[in-house]
Amino acid sequence: MTVSEFSKESGYAVFTKGEDREIETGYCGDFLSNIISRATDACAWLTVMNNVNVAAVATLIDCACIILCEGVEPDEALYARANSLGIWVLGANENVFEAAKTVARLCGV
Amino acid sequence: MEDCIRLEYDVDGENFASAGHASESVKRTLKQMGVSPASVRRVAIAMYEGEINLVIHAHGGKAIAEIDPDRIDIYLKDTGPGIADVDLAMRAGYSTATENIRSLGFGAGMGLPNMKKYSDDMKIDTAVGVGTTVFLRICF
Repeated sequence: MTVSEFSKESGYAVFTKGEDREIETGYCGDFLSNIISRATDACAWLTVMNNVNVAAVATLIDCACIILCEGVEPDEALYARANSLGIWVLGANENVFEAAKTVARLCGV
Repeated sequence: MEDCIRLEYDVDGENFASAGHASESVKRTLKQMGVSPASVRRVAIAMYEGEINLVIHAHGGKAIAEIDPDRIDIYLKDTGPGIADVDLAMRAGYSTATENIRSLGFGAGMGLPNMKKYSDDMKIDTAVGVGTTVFLRICF
């Protein structure tokens, strides 16, 4: 399932948009060094971390999208960087575990 | 044979927002050169960790990339506090980052271990009170 399809199906907020790619897997984490060494590309990255470095890390891992969980919204700097880099940032009210289950269910990953 | 491409970046030590610009720029260059995605990823990760270290620990510095058709050499130079115990600093999970840095998602103690993991050669030249130069070579 592509990110745009996923955003519609899940009803998650869409903060920024980018290239519409398939979500092939998922990764949950907030420690950026763990994420860049362990998350695989084309993943949905689920996090509660909300700062500009999230956009830099998302670019490095080539994730399909970022899903900010637990009602977190991107701050101004993250919003601006994600927008300029063309990164999808979605927002879920669920906690990370529940959001991960939603990704797994809808995307079949 | 194409000549070596040399890219040099100033890494601002006061500005977390700009951290990642050097590695993003090198990543774009390597992609344009047709370097394999796996190699591009290794370079981007190793260089990003280096950039972050310059910001967190050294009040900034310089990131230099020398790109050849078959490899990249990266130098991360600072005039920061130096590393007192390199073996300890290389240990996964060891970090001297402050609570404030950790709240930004850094300080997991994986910076230097990740740089080693993703490079083919790594050398650390450091002196306490003088500064540190980390050399990374990644073969494509």
